[in-house]
Amino acid sequence: MLAIDDKDLGTPERKSDKLISLEVDGRTVEVPEGTSVMRAAALADIWIPKLCASDLLEAFGSCRLCLVEIEGRNGLPASCTTLAEPGMRVRTQSQRLTKLRRNVMELYMSDHPLDPFECKAGGKCELHKMAQAVGLDHVRYSSSGRNHLTLPVDNSNPYFTFDPTRCILCSRCIRACDERQGTYALTIDGRGFNSVISPGQHQHYSESECVSCGACVQLCPTDALMEKSVLETGPAERAVITTCGYCGVGCSFKAELRGDQVVRMVPNKNGLPNFGHSCVKGRFAWGYATHPDRVRTPMIRKRISDPWQEVSWEEALRYAASELKRVQAKYGRGSIGGITSSRCTNEEAYLVQKLVRAGFGNNNVDTCARVCHSPTGYGLKAALGTPAGTQDFDSVRASDVIMVIGANPTEGHPVFASIMKRRLREGAHLIVVDPRRIELVRMPHVEADYFLQLKPGTNVALLNAMSHVVVTEGLAKEDFIRERCDVREYEMWREFIVQKRNSPESVEQTTGVPAESIRGAARLYAKGPNSAIYYGLGVTEHSQGTTAVLAMVNLAMVTGNLGRAGVGINPLRGQNNVQGSNDVGSFPHEYTGYRHVSDPQVRAAFEREWGVKLDPEPGLRIPNMFDAALDGSFKGLYVEGEDIAQSDPNSQHVAEALAAMEIVIVHDIFLNETSKYAHVFLPGSSFLEKDGTFTNAERRISRVRKVLPPLAGMEDWEVTCALARAFGYPMNYSHPSEIMDELARLTPIFAGVSYGKLERLGSVQWPCNDDAPDGTAVMHVGQFVRGKGRFMLTEYIPTEERTSPRYPLILTTGRVLTQYNVGTQTRRTKNVTWYAEDRLEIHPHDAEQRGIRDNDWVEVSSRAGSIVLRAEITDRMQPGVVYTTFHYPETGANVVTTENSDWATNCPEYKVTAVQVLPTTRRPERRVPEPAHHAEMSHQ
Amino acid sequence: MDIHRLVKMANDIGSFYEALPDRSEAISSIATHLKNFWEPRMRREIIEHARQGAEATPRLKELVREAILTLE
Amino acid sequence: MTVRVYIPRDSGARSLGADTVARAIELEAKKRGEQVSLVRTGSRGLYWLEPMVEVELSDRRVAYGPVNVTDIPALFDADFLNGGNHRLALGRADEIPYLKSQERLTFSRVGIVDPYSLPDYISHGGYRGLERALALSPEQIVEEVVVSGLRGRGGAGFPAGIKWRTTLQTSASQKYIVANADEGDSGTFADRMIMEGDPFLLIEGMTIAAIATGATEGFIYLRSEYPDALHTLQAAINAAVSAGYLGDNILGTGRRFLLEVRMGAGAYICGEETAMLESLEGKRGMVRFKPPVPAIAGLFGRPTVINNVVTLASVPLIVERGGAFYKEYGVGRSRGTIPIQLAGNVKRPGLIEKPFGITLREIIYDYGGGTASGRPLRAVQVGGPLGAYFPESLLDQPIDYEALAAQGGLVGHGGIVVFDESVNLARQARYAMEFCALESCGKCTPCRIGSTRGMEIIDEIVVARDGEKASRLELLRDLCDTMSAGSLCALGGLTPLPVMSALRHFPQDFGLPPSSGG
Repeated sequence: MLAIDDKDLGTPERKSDKLISLEVDGRTVEVPEGTSVMRAAALADIWIPKLCASDLLEAFGSCRLCLVEIEGRNGLPASCTTLAEPGMRVRTQSQRLTKLRRNVMELYMSDHPLDPFECKAGGKCELHKMAQAVGLDHVRYSSSGRNHLTLPVDNSNPYFTFDPTRCILCSRCIRACDERQGTYALTIDGRGFNSVISPGQHQHYSESECVSCGACVQLCPTDALMEKSVLETGPAERAVITTCGYCGVGCSFKAELRGDQVVRMVPNKNGLPNFGHSCVKGRFAWGYATHPDRVRTPMIRKRISDPWQEVSWEEALRYAASELKRVQAKYGRGSIGGITSSRCTNEEAYLVQKLVRAGFGNNNVDTCARVCHSPTGYGLKAALGTPAGTQDFDSVRASDVIMVIGANPTEGHPVFASIMKRRLREGAHLIVVDPRRIELVRMPHVEADYFLQLKPGTNVALLNAMSHVVVTEGLAKEDFIRERCDVREYEMWREFIVQKRNSPESVEQTTGVPAESIRGAARLYAKGPNSAIYYGLGVTEHSQGTTAVLAMVNLAMVTGNLGRAGVGINPLRGQNNVQGSNDVGSFPHEYTGYRHVSDPQVRAAFEREWGVKLDPEPGLRIPNMFDAALDGSFKGLYVEGEDIAQSDPNSQHVAEALAAMEIVIVHDIFLNETSKYAHVFLPGSSFLEKDGTFTNAERRISRVRKVLPPLAGMEDWEVTCALARAFGYPMNYSHPSEIMDELARLTPIFAGVSYGKLERLGSVQWPCNDDAPDGTAVMHVGQFVRGKGRFMLTEYIPTEERTSPRYPLILTTGRVLTQYNVGTQTRRTKNVTWYAEDRLEIHPHDAEQRGIRDNDWVEVSSRAGSIVLRAEITDRMQPGVVYTTFHYPETGANVVTTENSDWATNCPEYKVTAVQVLPTTRRPERRVPEPAHHAEMSHQ
Repeated sequence: MDIHRLVKMANDIGSFYEALPDRSEAISSIATHLKNFWEPRMRREIIEHARQGAEATPRLKELVREAILTLE
Repeated sequence: MTVRVYIPRDSGARSLGADTVARAIELEAKKRGEQVSLVRTGSRGLYWLEPMVEVELSDRRVAYGPVNVTDIPALFDADFLNGGNHRLALGRADEIPYLKSQERLTFSRVGIVDPYSLPDYISHGGYRGLERALALSPEQIVEEVVVSGLRGRGGAGFPAGIKWRTTLQTSASQKYIVANADEGDSGTFADRMIMEGDPFLLIEGMTIAAIATGATEGFIYLRSEYPDALHTLQAAINAAVSAGYLGDNILGTGRRFLLEVRMGAGAYICGEETAMLESLEGKRGMVRFKPPVPAIAGLFGRPTVINNVVTLASVPLIVERGGAFYKEYGVGRSRGTIPIQLAGNVKRPGLIEKPFGITLREIIYDYGGGTASGRPLRAVQVGGPLGAYFPESLLDQPIDYEALAAQGGLVGHGGIVVFDESVNLARQARYAMEFCALESCGKCTPCRIGSTRGMEIIDEIVVARDGEKASRLELLRDLCDTMSAGSLCALGGLTPLPVMSALRHFPQDFGLPPSSGG
């Protein structure tokens, strides 16, 4: 079922400059060329009966309820498949039509319970509504006729049921799977009356290729496909629009409620960027929000070896503040700091950095973007002037060539992937650059033109070689460069890039990619005409992460692929608010809007607003905080919404650093690995329990709305305010909108943002100010934000993490569709059905050499440590490279990762670790080190 | 702080800017980077290390050492 | 001297024993020291005479049939290799009245030539249409087809030239020609006879269509039940490619046309052109809505000419002799000839190619010789399983698209099935619904559910008490109206035709008084 308050115009919107005027039931309506008669009628508020049509799907013409009469035409054309034409005169009501529609409906109902009381959706499904609309009150066909009422129900999916006895074969589920999701998991089995919807070939949903995006369930017009949560709770009564709390696509959802209970999450049909589509996480995996593990009461303890003690909010905050003050008094102003999270709202992250800068009086604030996309920020800002993706997601629909590098969109950013796949099915070309054969390389109706399966850590060499081809083969867009870029730097870069060491032939050995493939891919990308780059952590999490970002900018600039729809450089952000947390000043060297703390004018503005003197020196980054902790000069930390002990590299090192601190305050919704080292635990609120905004990877600011009261009584922004006040810095807001207003006052790129505007527009992409009051979809149009685009020299420097006889394999990491990051949320949902443990993917050749069989336990050891997990033998991997996900703490993938990091941002080199893999009799244990019981020492 | 880590970080920065053909541009770029992104206590320690001379271990790249010395 | 003996390899003839006969003749000849050279041809379409063996004499071919293996020694004894007389002797093959009285324009070579021999095809006038086409502009070729009045022989009867013109005028980087060889109507075999007996004719027709419309690739969508046709077509395509009649540079003119055969998988609905396109694209055979018509957006969304095999096979002669020549045959808006496939309870089943206008009576009695059982004829179904049932009183109907439509019937693919008095039309009506229920693609509701409900209601009507019949009948009429007005394609849309015609002409079979059918 669609969301309870959605209207459906029957066929998708068509865009055209040419408007067509027609008459429907005597009403004149004007529509863009290509619009169906059905949609035209709906726009004139005439609602033609329909069952197989939806404006989320292309017209299909199967249900035959929408037949109309058109003057001068024979027969009764279906209004969904008939396009509006100038001067057309349409009649949607007549005796003939009424009779025909009722007779068609009667056929449907001859194989379906007519009684709305039998409807699992309480008679609110479209089928029953339509039966009513066409005036069908009884069925003349004998009840002893053939029917489907004895088919078995498929309950195999953890989140929804498929009851074929209620199915009307409208194919909306199949079309949703094909057109919207692009998975092609469903089909019709059998012919004629025997036709039944079938996942795969006679499979259950759970065995099929279904990815549980929920599109079929959303589009089912009957009670055949129903969310189990609706069956359990009953149909919704109201809906609240909010934004998904998982990945950086930032889908708009409607949270449907019955009383105070969430019934289901349905993608918002009219919301950007997802246009009513969703993935298994956002759609279904929200049950963690009410999981029994949620901490509902603040807790404190003197020593981390002590048991937790439940206390009141006041006591917890008082204790936390007093400890911070004690530590600061003892070890100096710079001895404490805070970490914001990309999971939190803009307002919350803003408050944490404000607490650190204005309250703590230093700039020791950092965010988890440090460990994911910090090179993106650095690189894009340095070269183009803005540390953010250049396009909106929808831009991909104008791309002719799509290059995906170091990203796995179908797993990590599934809703964007579905849009991208649609464009690929329309004929756009695809280049995939990845050490692992990701799904996009070949899947239904999508196949990469080039799959450059490079060795981990060689992105820069490969990107340089592509630019080398562009320049040496005369494919450079000289006009674009002369007009838009710094020509002196271009000349310098040109001289660098044409050197032989950057040729495909020279890097063939290094990258493992045949020179001819690199040349082919470079030519394809250069030819465009609209070529876009999408990338992920496979680019950034390297010792040359920033260099690779710069190399991509070089490639895009030299081919003129910036500054319009269909092109650009687009980071796929892992977390819902990576972009936002960066935007609002979470980095230790920058205030909101990416302005350096040393800029006296900017600082003065903040000092005026915040009423305190501010430190002009950059603060510590997360890894520096750990180093300083071990050094004894950093002793107190407030961590909001991030599990640094699990997610940061070299867990042993992190654990020691945390253990060395005297006050660790964890503010989170669950106890986690980091809280083992904490002295204060402040229970957080999930995205359903608070107001605020998230900013997705396309710079889109969307509202997060409170759907449920916070479980522990306080929204996160309130907690930070209370902690600030307890610390002695006044922080008073009555609503997050006031925080946004302050942010907008202080930040030119947000100057035009307000909750009022978000209410009006739904969402807005920054920059949003007087120059762009409705926001900005595509950046750098006409001119780069920094003025001239900068070509920077991107010498390939191999990582120091190299294979050796002892560690002959390279371990790289990624994630799967159904799990999310370190799994805090998804592990507490039924998503574990699909992925219950991390596995080590290994090439058959490497497995054979080591006597490893599928499913065997293996020990993965690196210079930093070792972990145990099961092996999965697959030729997705290339020989010499192994892969794992990091969703389960038992795996402790970061036990083996090293402290190598990006030169510019110290983003850890998660993607390259030299390891050995051997069969083992060991079994996994909790691999993040338990706190050693030397806590008393740390208090000395 | 762990001087090995600091030196490695500084050298990594140096490796990137080494590519610049103009040595003085490279030095000033390294220095700017350190000034913009390194917290004062880190800068203090690396400066101290640089002052101990080119031979001090762990070894700083010469280019980086020169850049650090301009920070004083 | 070697005597050339012709025996069909047509699968109809083979099913009647043609292969055994051929082997037996070879063996017998060897035994007797006679020099015999066997040529396997298509069938002349005189199926009650199959296996029909022809012997080439100096100036004629004489026929014997139907030949059984046991007849062979006697045939040799009778010196059939020199045209000797025998109980099975039929005289000159082309003088057999059934054949002689036909106007074989399209089937002129079938049964005569060796389908595997390109030289044979050419020496019998093949590829002259293509030669002329290569000298004309695309517009001129299309014009010839338009002038000829040729209409789709697959059933829909849409003017082929108009379809071609649409595709010609639609600009696209890729266009296709598709031959619909999914000959699924019960009692039809014209397509098969061409593909098995004169495959180059279809290839030539498709090549001309390609040149006329700018298409460069073609597909023959062949039903899986025709393995022999597959073999013949593939051999013919290979021969045509080798000789330069297909490929990247047709006869050195720089024109390109590549042709492939694709097999169906046994679904009747894939004879519906849009379902066929889906199947060709590798998908489940489901009907698409129109517009867009395939001529504008067909296979893989590109402009596609889809014609039936007979339609395409009619083209070479039209282009060779001019549209006006072809137009001289036929009546009204039904121009040219139609290969009628006569089957069912009839003495002389076979293929009868005649100009439009011939009446059902002429076909059934003059050619067919009346019922095979000798019992009185009761009903005739014209145009395949979706065609109407006509009673004896309507046999003077001419075969003509418009005339048959006026009687609630259709020409279809030209299949005629004869029933004697033992037929029960209520059962036949039920069968029509059953056929639809079996073969429906399941996309639209009237067809998917309606056909099953139709079976059930007809069953109910037959057994209903008088008081209940009226309401059931009304429901059946409503259902038929819903199916014909509401179905997405012709399968559901036309199924009411046999049902309603049975009800109209044979109400007593439904337990109704004779007048109530109306």
